[in-house]
Amino acid sequence: MKKRYWRCFVCNDIHFGIAPPELCPTCKVLQAYVEISAEEARKFLGSGQDVALAPEDFRGAIERFAAGNEFRVNPDREKVDLLLSGIFENEKSHGFKFCPCRLRTKNREEDLKLVCPCNFTVHETYRGVPNGECWCGLFVRRT
Amino acid sequence: MPNLIMFHGRECPHCKRMMPLVERLERETPVRFDRREVWHDEENADLMRSYLEIIAPKCGGQLRVPTFLNPGARDAVCGEMPYEDLKAWALKQG
Repeated sequence: MKKRYWRCFVCNDIHFGIAPPELCPTCKVLQAYVEISAEEARKFLGSGQDVALAPEDFRGAIERFAAGNEFRVNPDREKVDLLLSGIFENEKSHGFKFCPCRLRTKNREEDLKLVCPCNFTVHETYRGVPNGECWCGLFVRRT
Repeated sequence: MPNLIMFHGRECPHCKRMMPLVERLERETPVRFDRREVWHDEENADLMRSYLEIIAPKCGGQLRVPTFLNPGARDAVCGEMPYEDLKAWALKQG
């Protein structure tokens, strides 16, 4: 199924997905999304504020992301620092926050699966493993 | 000993942990690894990609580092492992 662009007619939030959200997460209005073109979506996104996300901001982002989940950011600060430096190096050199412990194949669809955080919960290093981790060890199961 | 390759990433913690074990193995045995960093060297990255069909089935369907490869025998093993496991894999290649 192909993903498309959707715009909230109240607050102009943009959503990219197979279907629009039932509830707008920003203005909380129900059934507020209308389909728009990619070109129109780019115009709306381009008119927004420039949001920078430095490594320390990203650390906060993944900690908040993990807070509601069964995994957490690895408490090994040194390991996380090394991984974050690789993730940001990869974004600078290769365009996305690719996992420093894997390699992109140059197949875009496959490579987007390597963007951190990836869906590691389906990987054999995490799924069903009591002390499971994502491949690189950035996220570890809470014990 | 056959030509063995270690694909690694500069900012990969598993690779960092394995590097001293590789050095120890080279000191204690005739095993030698051709070390190839893949995130900061596109030639090395392309070399690793050229072995996708050998590596992926043994590494969760992906190209992951560290990967230890014997191109001649089409055998590979990846990830962090104890010294004895790495040694056993490398010596069986000979």
